Amino acid sequence: MAASSQADIETGVVEILKNVSRRPIDPTPASDLAADLGFDSLQILEVVAELEDRFDISIPLNDVPAARTVAQVVAQVTALVNGAATA
Amino acid sequence: MPIAHTLPEALAAAARSSRGYRFVRPRSAETLTPYADMYAGALRVAGSLAGLGLRPGDLVAIIVPDPEAFLTTLFGTSVAGVVPASLYPPTATSDLPSYLEATGRVLRSCGARAVVTSATLLPHVDTLRAMCPDLAIVAAFDALQGPAMEPGRTPTTSDIAFVQFTSGSTATPKGVVITHQNLSANITAFASPDGVHASPDDVAVSWLPLYHDMGLVGMAIGAMYNAADAVLMAPEMFVKRPVEWLRAISRYRGTVSFAPNFAYDLAVRRVKDTDLAELDLSSWRVAGCGAEPIHASTLSAFAEKFGPCGFDETSFQPCYGLAEIVLAATMSPRGRGLRVERLLADDVTIRRVATRANGTRAETVSVVACGTPLPGHDLRILDESGHPLPERHIGEIVLSGPSVTPGYYNDAATTLAAIRNGQLFTGDLGYLSNGELFVCGRVKDLIIVNGRKYHPQDLEWGVAELAGIRRGRVVAFGTTSDTGPDRTVVIAEPSGTVPANELTEAIRRRIVDVCGLVVDDVVLVPSGTVARTTSGKLKRSATKLLYERGDLATAAAGTSGA
Repeated sequence: MAASSQADIETGVVEILKNVSRRPIDPTPASDLAADLGFDSLQILEVVAELEDRFDISIPLNDVPAARTVAQVVAQVTALVNGAATA
Repeated sequence: MPIAHTLPEALAAAARSSRGYRFVRPRSAETLTPYADMYAGALRVAGSLAGLGLRPGDLVAIIVPDPEAFLTTLFGTSVAGVVPASLYPPTATSDLPSYLEATGRVLRSCGARAVVTSATLLPHVDTLRAMCPDLAIVAAFDALQGPAMEPGRTPTTSDIAFVQFTSGSTATPKGVVITHQNLSANITAFASPDGVHASPDDVAVSWLPLYHDMGLVGMAIGAMYNAADAVLMAPEMFVKRPVEWLRAISRYRGTVSFAPNFAYDLAVRRVKDTDLAELDLSSWRVAGCGAEPIHASTLSAFAEKFGPCGFDETSFQPCYGLAEIVLAATMSPRGRGLRVERLLADDVTIRRVATRANGTRAETVSVVACGTPLPGHDLRILDESGHPLPERHIGEIVLSGPSVTPGYYNDAATTLAAIRNGQLFTGDLGYLSNGELFVCGRVKDLIIVNGRKYHPQDLEWGVAELAGIRRGRVVAFGTTSDTGPDRTVVIAEPSGTVPANELTEAIRRRIVDVCGLVVDDVVLVPSGTVARTTSGKLKRSATKLLYERGDLATAAAGTSGA
């Protein structure tokens, strides 16, 4: 897919988080997925699978713990999308 | 086919068959590894371990995420006569420093001489040498290339086949000792016509973790002992995309696959309708379910969703077991499917009697039948003073038979508390109806989330030192209900020094860091609500009863609910 802008990615990430959550949430860039948004480890991997499908990327599982906030997830996806686009 | 007496003998026998493990990995070709190759790999690992100076009886901890590398290491240590201990590897979402600290405690308490791990984890595990004086060797699996040991040494049946570290509180890890005799006895029992009726033509399919008895014994080792094929994938692959489990059954004509309740639920919720057309589940003759409370509603929803894919709901085979009996104690009859009893909730929780609910005048709970004891094994329901209870009375499930562990590794006190006169006191509550077991909960307070067990005291200790909580006035427990998912709840009395919303957030955050667990509900209550007793168990049950009845007053400062 074509390289996405950071804003597109953030919109996509927030949409996925809202879909995966089983209760209403209002994620901000600073929100911590587990502590603030209440995601358990199964849901975090579900988010990873949804991100991979939507952005056509592969997120290494080793990198998952590093992304704890929405902003960190957006940065990780952005790096992978742009890396894939220039490769 | 008679089951071998020891693991090395079973592996040598399976190596003479044409069958083996098929390891499924994301985005790569699936490899079939015949048991002959597994045996050759195990002999190389055994030779390497001997070369490193390990002697029979030394304990080697295995922390290896890849299923093929894990099983080769386990079999190799067994062939070498060394004692293998399976430990869980860090998951993709776990906090590495907390994981390493907990792992270090396990390694130290069992006096592990060596750890075999992956190249990626090696530098992290290596840092644990400082806290583990007995730990002489930390080796990467890839480095264990031989020279191969000559086959020949056969252990005695009373030797340890492996040690499984399981469900102990993180402060006091427990390693269940499984002897070759235990292993052989349990596999013989669950492979028999009273169990899954296994044959070499079966194809087991599993994503279950290999550091847990259902994945390790029920699927991987069980298939090998029966010289049947097994298709194995890592748990992360399933959790990320639950459809991969069902795809593997469909593609390889899987016949036997076990999973805990939450996996069936995950498949119902997350397998997309567009994926259903490609699935053919008609070969799946044993859909085992165990290891955590079984909800009839979950399994019915699974049967409804996947019925059009050829799934037959009479394949459900609920079972009951635990690591201390290797794997399985009871299994429901093959081909019957689910049998459910609906009971009066108050009778179950207060009077401890299983009264069938006729009509709908009161609150009810549904309990799924888990079958009768496997051949050669015995099950009794005892009251608190150890007397047998009649049918339909709820008490502790006590097991005996050749599968019962001799005890916990290097831990005589814990062993004595659980095993007396060859009887295993499981800590689980249940009743018998026409000789069939129905499981109702725990004597001990365990919180079970997604198949993983958490001890409430770990959560309570985790937050005990937080500013703003009155000392000793915090309890954690799990609640189960027929209508919704199980929930983890923390109740605390605030000291008033920290604003309520900051305190509840701090509690949630701390428990994620310490246990990797997301709490569903944090409730702050007025002082005096959490009973003033030294027994954590009494405090928990009293507070839980108030919570479940909706009788819990909340602190004036406000609450935070899920």
